[in-house]
Amino acid sequence: MTSIDVQDLTKEFGGRRAVDRLTFRVLPGRVTGFLGPNGAGKSTTMRLVLGLDRPTAGSATIGGRPYPALREPLRHVGALLDAQAAHGSRTARDHLRVLAASNRIPDSRVDEVLAETGLASVARRRVRTYSLGMRQRLGIAAALLGDPEVVMLDEPSNGLDPEGIVWIRRLLRRLAAEGRTVLVSSHLMNETASFADHLVVLGRGRLLADTPMRDFIHARVQPRVRIRTTDPGALTSALARHGHAAEEHADGHWTVRDARVDDIGRIASASGVPVLELAAEEGTLEQAYFDLTGAETEFTAQPQEA
Amino acid sequence: MEFAPVLRSEWLKVRTLRSLPGALLALLAVTTAFSAIAGASDAADPGFDPLFTALSGVIPGQIAAVTFGAMAVSSEFQQGALRLSLAAVPQRGRWFAAKAAVIALPALLVGLGTAFAALLVGRAGLGAAADGLGTGAQVRGVVGCGVYLMLMALFAAGIAALLRSGVATLSLLVPFILVVSFVIGDATGTVADFLPDKAGQLVLRETYDGTLGPWSGLGVTALWTAAALLAGAWSVRHRDA
Repeated sequence: MTSIDVQDLTKEFGGRRAVDRLTFRVLPGRVTGFLGPNGAGKSTTMRLVLGLDRPTAGSATIGGRPYPALREPLRHVGALLDAQAAHGSRTARDHLRVLAASNRIPDSRVDEVLAETGLASVARRRVRTYSLGMRQRLGIAAALLGDPEVVMLDEPSNGLDPEGIVWIRRLLRRLAAEGRTVLVSSHLMNETASFADHLVVLGRGRLLADTPMRDFIHARVQPRVRIRTTDPGALTSALARHGHAAEEHADGHWTVRDARVDDIGRIASASGVPVLELAAEEGTLEQAYFDLTGAETEFTAQPQEA
Repeated sequence: MEFAPVLRSEWLKVRTLRSLPGALLALLAVTTAFSAIAGASDAADPGFDPLFTALSGVIPGQIAAVTFGAMAVSSEFQQGALRLSLAAVPQRGRWFAAKAAVIALPALLVGLGTAFAALLVGRAGLGAAADGLGTGAQVRGVVGCGVYLMLMALFAAGIAALLRSGVATLSLLVPFILVVSFVIGDATGTVADFLPDKAGQLVLRETYDGTLGPWSGLGVTALWTAAALLAGAWSVRHRDA
């Protein structure tokens, strides 16, 4: 059981609070999505967890220990912070061998992670010849090098092609299924929704939410029923008789709030309304996120993170 | 964490970055070439010092040693390289010590080889003018020259860690070595004797006058180097990566 524990964590850069009394826990066995606009403090929090930046106050521990106290830390925690970190003049294999050597990880493991990330055939090419997607894969390979129980990835889908995005999704699911602690930051809502079980949402360095993803969506977005018909008059009057209000949309479909698709289907059928399309509209993570952040309008236009 | 794996990792970094062995090769090539030219030139100068003339290729050649030290450190300050390195080795003092060690040893070894080669080609050019050179002075010149080049590489490494930039380090040190020391260097008996490069270069001379001797001069350079390394180590340890 290795969790990431963040306790009252605060970090100031020249008077500006990048992280503000943050407390949350990332548990093993699930993928935790780390959300927030640019500049919300996601990357800073990750650097604080890794002991790269010193907190102004509070603490961050991994399995109860501060990161610098870990013996051979790459064997416990794997992180991808910046895909550009590999030196352009080194080959991918040498880049990983350098990291492996410092933590006494054998070179055979280097070849394993290169194969796992699909870089085996280009492993002896210089990193400067790599596309952003390949650098991203190399960064993930570095994170997996020590077969760590904790994996922390900052925007891993950046620059990946569609194939790569599917690959990273499967990888994250597999890492969580193996019982590892997985924290993945992103500002892409649909992408996060495809792999996360749990969410930690930041805004201006503060914790806005720490809940299972399903609960997060259901608490904020009401389910709707989508329906299309050739006889809108009959549909609206039938729905009105049962106390439902329908809204028309520009392309001709209607939506009914606070309704279950089973009920609407029965009403339409009993009233003989011809139905062309009938579907439940689940709330999306994006809608839920904007519902949450919309309340705090102050952070809609934050300066970009360095 | 143990020191040996960290040292091995840092050594692998030096080996796998083509520009670093390249800088050491340049040290050998430039120094030997300039010593050959100096040896073949006129030796009628009244202040003529055969040992210094034979080893004088080191004056331009040391820029390669400084570049080696500066680049070995500054490669860590490109993009997020330092974060990656310190995530692998969170003991920053230990990490920086390993970094300094893998700069010092190759610089010393290549420096000794360079000094020996420079002395050989320089003496060949001087011919009879170098006949008076004693063995003791020549050994002192070669060993001192190797140590001097190592100290200059480490001095640059310390400055690069403090400034977090290779470009800034080289634009500070190269003009300093080429211009400042050159212009005020002839004025012996002043503070110029105690500049990091001027003081250490006394070891390259057969005869010397002034407050510092060859070894005490090298000692002054060593103090400058120690100060630069301590400042660099302080910066690495105390600043956010």
